[in-house]
Amino acid sequence: MATQEIKVPDLQGLHDVAVVEVYVSPGDTIEVESPLISLESDKAVMDVPSPLSGVITEVKVNEGDTVNTGDLIALAEVEKEDQEVHGSSGNPNSLTEVEETEKNEASSAWAEEDRAEEVRPADTSERPSPSEAPANAQPFGSKYHATPSVRAFARELGVDLSGVTGSGPKGRITREDVAARIKNVMSIAEKSGFGAVPDLFAENPARSIIPGSGTSGFALPPIPTADYASFGDIETEELSRIKKISGPHLHRNWLGIPHVTQFEDADITDLEEFRGTINEENAAAGNRKISPLIFVVKAVVAALKRFGDFNGSLSADGSSIIRKKYYNIGIAVDTSDGLVVPVLKNADQKGIALLAEELSDLSSRAREGKLKIDEMKGGTFSISSLGGIGGTYFTPIVNAPEVAILGLSRSTMKPVWNGSEFVPRLILPLSLSYDHRVIDGAQGARFTAYLAMILADIRRTLL
Amino acid sequence: MSKTITCDVAVLGGGPGGYTAAFRAADLGKQVVLIEKEERIGGVCLNEGCIPSKTLLHAAEVIAEAREAEAYGLKYSAPEINIEKLREKKADIVTKLTGGLAGLAKARKVEILRGFGRFTGKRLLVVEGEGGITSVAFEKAIIAVGSSPMELPFLPKDARIWDSADALALPFIPARLAVLGGGIIGLEMAQVYASLGSKVTIIEMLGQIIPAADADLVRPLAAKLKKTYEAVLTSTKLTGVEAGKHSLKISLEGEKAPASIEADALLVAVGRRPNTADMGFEDIGVKTDGKGFIQVNERMETDVPGIHAVGDAVGNPMLAHKAVHEGKTAAESASGLKSAFTPMSIPSVAYTDPEIAWVGYTEKQAKSEGVSYEKGSFPWGASGRALSADKDYGTTKALFDTGSGRIIGAGIVGARAGDLIAEAALAIEMGADAEDIGGTVHAHPTFAETLAFAAESAAGTITDALPSRKSKIS
Repeated sequence: MATQEIKVPDLQGLHDVAVVEVYVSPGDTIEVESPLISLESDKAVMDVPSPLSGVITEVKVNEGDTVNTGDLIALAEVEKEDQEVHGSSGNPNSLTEVEETEKNEASSAWAEEDRAEEVRPADTSERPSPSEAPANAQPFGSKYHATPSVRAFARELGVDLSGVTGSGPKGRITREDVAARIKNVMSIAEKSGFGAVPDLFAENPARSIIPGSGTSGFALPPIPTADYASFGDIETEELSRIKKISGPHLHRNWLGIPHVTQFEDADITDLEEFRGTINEENAAAGNRKISPLIFVVKAVVAALKRFGDFNGSLSADGSSIIRKKYYNIGIAVDTSDGLVVPVLKNADQKGIALLAEELSDLSSRAREGKLKIDEMKGGTFSISSLGGIGGTYFTPIVNAPEVAILGLSRSTMKPVWNGSEFVPRLILPLSLSYDHRVIDGAQGARFTAYLAMILADIRRTLL
Repeated sequence: MSKTITCDVAVLGGGPGGYTAAFRAADLGKQVVLIEKEERIGGVCLNEGCIPSKTLLHAAEVIAEAREAEAYGLKYSAPEINIEKLREKKADIVTKLTGGLAGLAKARKVEILRGFGRFTGKRLLVVEGEGGITSVAFEKAIIAVGSSPMELPFLPKDARIWDSADALALPFIPARLAVLGGGIIGLEMAQVYASLGSKVTIIEMLGQIIPAADADLVRPLAAKLKKTYEAVLTSTKLTGVEAGKHSLKISLEGEKAPASIEADALLVAVGRRPNTADMGFEDIGVKTDGKGFIQVNERMETDVPGIHAVGDAVGNPMLAHKAVHEGKTAAESASGLKSAFTPMSIPSVAYTDPEIAWVGYTEKQAKSEGVSYEKGSFPWGASGRALSADKDYGTTKALFDTGSGRIIGAGIVGARAGDLIAEAALAIEMGADAEDIGGTVHAHPTFAETLAFAAESAAGTITDALPSRKSKIS
C-alpha cells in the first residue's frame, strides 16, 4: 500500500476555478476515471476524473474553494507503488469523460416506479408465447444486421433471419438475401420432390416444420401415374379446399413422425347404462342429449393427467418434451369438404353438459364451414371418432405438434369371459397412435389400459 | 335501454396507441369502434401530457432566451406574463390537434364511442356513457387504456398538492414550488414554473436527477439547476406533508436535506401506473404482471386470442412514440398481417434546458450487462454552432459494440438534443458503425454534426478536436 497525491489536471489557462461539488470523501473506493470533484468556470462545468484506483484517505478541497492547475485534491492509498499514474491529457474529452458511480440505493415503491423513462422494453419472461412465425427482432451485437424493412419482409415470408447470410456492406442482410434464401430452399425442395413443403428453417432447427425432425429432405422416387383413360372412362374432380390444405399436413406428419398404433377394448356397458339414465332425465327436462364421445373426452383428460407425456410436444430441437398444463382436446369432424379438427378448450375445467353443448356448436359450425381459425388452434391431444360409421380398428395419423391421437370405432356387443361364464358386454374399440420418439410402447399400452379402465367405470374420473 | 353494436375491431382508449391502432385497422379495411372515456380523443399525450407541456416549455424557453440575449447586447425588459393568455394558447393548440384527430377518425369512418368500457366477455365490451349502456361485440380488440399519475396515499388531500395534469392546468403560480420526483416529468414542469417566477425545490430519492440517464449527461443540467433553483435535493426522501393554512410543510430525510421545507404547492411526479385495474381483464384471461402491466408478445397479443394490448398499459417506457408503433403492430396483427414490434431502441427525451436525450444502451446499462463497447464523445465547447448560439454546455456521445463496431447507443445533452437523437436512433436500426456515421457528410456548422464528431472520435479520425486516446471498456 502506498499513498499517492491526486492533483488538479491542466486547466488549460484557467485560474481560480470554483469547486462546485465534491463527490468523494475519506474511505471511498475510487477507480480510474471515477469523478472526484466538479469544477465550474465561467460557463462550463467539468468533472475531474480520478487518475488512479484506490481508497481516498484525505480530501483537500471543499465545495466553494477555488483551485488552480496542480493543486492537491486528495490523498489516496493505492494497491501497488508502481501503479501507473496518468495525468489527464490536454484533450477536451478528458474532463467530461467520467465513469458512473451510481450507488445502488434501496428504492421504495415510488422511486422504483419513477422509471417511466426506462429505455428498454420490459422483462419478457412472462409474456404470452410468441406465434409460430419468426418475429425477427434484431439483437444488439449479433452476427448479422437487418434493417427494419428487411425484418418486415422476412416476417412476411416467414423467413428466420438467423439462417440468412448477409451479402450487404459489413455483412448486412439485404432484401435480396432474403429472397435468395427463399429461392434456394424452393429449389432444394423441388429437387427432393417436396415442392409443397419448403423448409425455410433448415439451418435453424428451432423453426423446422416438425419439431425435432430437422429437415424434410426425403429423396423418394416419384409415384408413377398412368394414362387412366386408356383403361376406361374417368372423371376428374378437384380436391376440396380443406383436403388441399390438410393433405400436405397429413403427408408431413405421416412421414416425419415414427408412428405406433396401440389397440385396446373398453367395456362401456355400465357407462352406456349411466348415459341412458342421464339422457332420460335430460329429455324429461328438455336438455340436450349427451353423446358417448363426451364421456370419452372426460376419460381421456383423466388419462392425460396421469400420463402427462401424452399431453406434450417435442421441443424444437428434439431434445426435450414440453408438457402442457392445459387440456385442449381436438375432435376430428368429418365435413362434406373434408376433415377439420375444432378444439374443446380447457376440457378439464368443464362439465359434461357444457362440453356437450360446445361440441355440438363446434361441429355444426364446422359442417357449415364457419369455424374460426382460433377455434382450431391450441389442441394438446386429438380424438377421431368413426363410431357412427363402422369398422373395428384403424391407425389414425398423429396431429403434430401433438404426440398422440385416439381413434374410436363402432362399439358392439361381444361375449366376455367373466371367470365363470361368457356375458354380453358392450365393447368400444380404441386405437391410439403415438409419436414413438416421445412415447415408448409400454407407456402406450399403459395409457390405453388405464383409459379402458376409466371407461369401464366412469366414477374413476372423480379420483 | 342498452343497445348492441358489432364491429371487426374494438379499440379501448383513444390516446396515441389507441387512435393509431384504430386508424391503421380502418385503413386495412376493418370496421372500427374507438371507445374513449374522455370528451376528446388524443389521450394524455395531447390533452394533459406531451403537447400542453411542450407549449408551456416553449414559453419558458422564450423567457430564457430573452434573458440570455443580454450577452449579445440585446437587453429586454422582464416579460409581463399574462397567465390567462398562456392558458388559452395552450388550450388552442390542444383543441387544434384533437380536432384534427377527430377529423381523421371521421374520414376513416372510425366510430368514436364515448364512455367507460369494460370487458364482460372474450368478444364483448360494455360501454357506459352519457347516452346509456352500449354493448360492443367485436372480432378483435385492442386495449390501449394508458396510465395515470401515481399517487402517494400518505399525502393529505389538498388543492395545493398537484399531479402533472394539475400542474399543466396552471391553476396559479406558487411563490415556492416543491417538486417530488426528479424524473423527466417533474423537471419539465419545474422548468415551466421556475421561468414563470416560482422558486423551485426538487426532491429526488435517488442520487441523481433523471436516474435512468448517464451521469455525465445529467451533470450540466444538474449544475445549472443548482444555480437557478432554490435547491436540488438528491438522495432525499419525502416523509410527510402538513397542509397548513398558508403553506405546505414538507418533511424530508436526506444527508444534505433540511428537515423540512415550506412550499406553496407540491407537484408529485413519482411515476405513472397503468390503468388496468377493474377493467375486467383478469375475468376474461388477459393477464397482468405484478405492476399491473398487461402481458403481451411482440405481436402485441395478450393471452386471450384476438385481444391485443399496446402503450403504457403494457409496460415501460411509457412514451407516446412507443405506443404509436405498438398500435400499428396491433392493428396489423389483428388484421392478419405478420407484423411484430421489435425495435432495437426507443429514444427518451427530457425537454429540460439543456435538453437530455438518449437512445439504445446507456453506459451504465452496458456496464451492468457486461456489454463491451467503445465510446466516442464530443464536447459542444468545440462546436462552432453551439458556441455562436451560446449553447456550448453540451456533449454528444456515441457507444459502439466492440465486436461488430455497430452503434449500440447514444446520449446527448444540449440544445435540441431531442431532435438530434433521431439520427442516432436511425443509425442503430440501420446497423451503422462509427465510420458510417463519421463518413456521412454533415452540414457545418450545425448541432447535428456533433454526432459525426463523436463517431469520428471513436474511430480516431477526428480533426475538430484532439483524437481521444482509444480506450476499450468492457
